[in-house]
Amino acid sequence: MSIDRVDSKRTGLIKLSKLRRFVMLLFLMQFLKIKVLVGGLTGSLAVWFVRLIDVFAYFESLFASRDFTTRGGEVTVALVSVLPIIGIYLVFGRAFCGWICPMDFLFEIMDRMRVRIQRKETTFKIPLETGYVFILIFLLASMLSEVPFFTNYLSHLTNLFRFLTGVFFISFALPFSPVVLVYSGGIIMLFLGLEYLKPRLWCRVLCPVGKIYGAFNKISLLSLRFSEGECGECSLCDQVCYMGVKIAQNIDRPGLRDTNCIYCGRCVEGCETKGRLIKMKIGG
Amino acid sequence: MFTSALCPFKFLLRTGVTRREFLKISIIAVTLFGSSGGCSLKKGIHEEATGPLPDIDIGGIIRPPGALPEREFRAKCISCGVCVNVCHVMKYDAIQIMGTGDIKSFGTPYIKDMRDFPCGLCMECPRHCPTGALRKIEKEKVAMGQALIDFGLCFGWNGDVCLSCSKACPLGAKVFDFYNSEWGNQPFINEDCVGCGLCVKYCPLGGSAVKVVTKNKYSEIRSWYLDEFRRLRELSQDERYAIVYSRNMPEITARGRLVEREYR
Repeated sequence: MSIDRVDSKRTGLIKLSKLRRFVMLLFLMQFLKIKVLVGGLTGSLAVWFVRLIDVFAYFESLFASRDFTTRGGEVTVALVSVLPIIGIYLVFGRAFCGWICPMDFLFEIMDRMRVRIQRKETTFKIPLETGYVFILIFLLASMLSEVPFFTNYLSHLTNLFRFLTGVFFISFALPFSPVVLVYSGGIIMLFLGLEYLKPRLWCRVLCPVGKIYGAFNKISLLSLRFSEGECGECSLCDQVCYMGVKIAQNIDRPGLRDTNCIYCGRCVEGCETKGRLIKMKIGG
Repeated sequence: MFTSALCPFKFLLRTGVTRREFLKISIIAVTLFGSSGGCSLKKGIHEEATGPLPDIDIGGIIRPPGALPEREFRAKCISCGVCVNVCHVMKYDAIQIMGTGDIKSFGTPYIKDMRDFPCGLCMECPRHCPTGALRKIEKEKVAMGQALIDFGLCFGWNGDVCLSCSKACPLGAKVFDFYNSEWGNQPFINEDCVGCGLCVKYCPLGGSAVKVVTKNKYSEIRSWYLDEFRRLRELSQDERYAIVYSRNMPEITARGRLVEREYR
């Protein structure tokens, strides 16, 4: 726990962990009738004007419709909605996972609970490529069932927002199917259970949404940069990184583009040099 | 020892529950109890009447306005919930998330019960749908369904002048035809109807005298329905009198006594 608490007051650095919780809450405010962003994060409507759709959900619905041409107005609507997302993540890489995904917040709560009880071994031997197999399986399942399979039934985002919508509707005495509420709640509990047993297995290895965004990391403008020469080789950065990015090994290089980096900024805050050695930088 | 003897929850101290944990448990218990109590109270208010045209089912799922054909809609819709949210903001609350029924439609939006929450045809959901599962189209070209009047229950077909349905209709005179006679103003909903269901809600009869079925179902029962319509209009005075007073009126008065559905 001591390494989790990073003292940033002395360095005057903006506390990134606080900032990213604030960004995430900005998108959850739709349930408080402040509609910055409406809808589940698989598809949403920003400031009542910009339509957005998740890249993986776009591919799934494309496969489910079995229509890869761009004729007809419907196809272009989805394309217009997915382009801003691609644009955003060409700049920010996989920042979605660390900054917007509400599961990250729920998983962090689970992590704290586990730490209080006992610290379990957090390593596991499932290759990172399993996620790509998952993507293929889900795309195939979508094509066969003609329904966006993962996004509709299993997605953590869809189910979390369905569950929250259900709670919201029922608390305002509006009709909502209890089956949907129980199903979505159950799926979320399964995710939390998985997190309890295998910390961040979902985020690191399996999540197809994150895997797609991870591919953007290779070309995104935002990336991790390392300054030369100051590293005391304490490997605090590796310990605070819950996505399993090997930072200490690569510290001699000018930067790191790992598909699992979610730009949460924990390594920046966790580093003994407090942000002088490890930096997140946009552009050259 | 003295304080523990006074504590009404002494047994909890013995089981090793701290005060903080006890507070937590009691908050959860109160929340659960409150929510379950709230739900059970709500159930008592609604008294369900058998709807109009009980022999005819809706014939599928009534989708939000501008929806693609069923198969393409299911493929396109990623159940993100934007339409549900937009509908809630527009204060119609017509779009619900599908639960039971077809597993392929699970989680997709549909219009559940037009007697409570009809679609207002504000056309905001197709405008904001990010996937294109709902197309942007004009109000008049929406094909959610077809409203059918139960001639046995409608006031206008049984010696009264009511007009509630036509006043509620967002398309007005385009959709409603009236065949006035001494048996009432006899409204008829023609095939320009888009199936929004506002007439269903604003029908003053208990349980409503209008039903919305899908366009597919309507094409199945179209000939039967039109035959029924023609037959009623061509009946002689005595035959009509017998139908209205011996069969329809008792039914209408019985439904009139039912608790009115809540108006929001």
